Amino acid sequence: MTSVREKIGSSGFHRTVLKNGSPYCYMKVCLLDQETRLNAVELKSLIITGLKDLHGEVGAALPFDVLKFDEGSLTAVLRVCSGGLVKLWSSLTLQGYYQSQACAFRVLQVSRFNL
Amino acid sequence: MVPHILSFARYLLCEVNVSDMNDLFLLNDQAVAAAVKAAVARIHGDYGAALCSIRFQVKYLNAHTGIVFLRFPKSCYKLLWSALPFITHINSRGQKIPCFLNCLHVGGTIRTCQKFLIRYNTQQLHRMLPKCKNEGEKQQIRQAILGCFIPGGNKEACEDDIECEEDEGE
Repeated sequence: MTSVREKIGSSGFHRTVLKNGSPYCYMKVCLLDQETRLNAVELKSLIITGLKDLHGEVGAALPFDVLKFDEGSLTAVLRVCSGGLVKLWSSLTLQGYYQSQACAFRVLQVSRFNL
Repeated sequence: MVPHILSFARYLLCEVNVSDMNDLFLLNDQAVAAAVKAAVARIHGDYGAALCSIRFQVKYLNAHTGIVFLRFPKSCYKLLWSALPFITHINSRGQKIPCFLNCLHVGGTIRTCQKFLIRYNTQQLHRMLPKCKNEGEKQQIRQAILGCFIPGGNKEACEDDIECEEDEGE
């Protein structure tokens, strides 16, 4: 991947242009579940279970990371390689239960850049 | 001559490899279909199982040679194909037959697969010829090679009709 960086004026902003597309996608998701408290590890295991149900072993092997997880607001930032975005998103959408309690993921933001 | 007929399917010509050749006679097409569906469901989950339920069919099974024709929808045959190597056994008539599938050819119509299969079997006979021990076996195999021909191969006119019939069957 090649990237071009140029400095714009004196404002100090950088403009980053990725020529071959970025390898990762970032998702900001929110778990709608008032009852249970869960930590980042349990969240990742929940997402992997959902992936395995919908996309089988190929889905369960999808590389993705929980970059940040706020246990108070149940908001997480996920990083996934671009090819797996559709699989991850679809399994998040179809995730309906956590420990036999109704829950849902709301995707707040999807971006190529983690800004 | 290429017939201009849209085909919405892909036919996979696969070979079922078993350790004991007598096990092949236990196979039937429902057992093979169930094994493929189970493998796809395991590897690709509910999504794969759903794709597999649309237009998947075992078109032909030869219990003598272990040749199977599988029909997949053209749009997702690569995804379903990728699950075939994970088949390690087929449950048939209460027995677990250890086997694996070897894909020989992918074609758009049954006819192209049939042509390939005849050519492939002729090659196999040619490979068997030097391994023969006595003259009688050699003579038998020579006869078999001479007997190989593609049905309707020299009659170009009726080729299109056959092609149409196959496509209408979907």
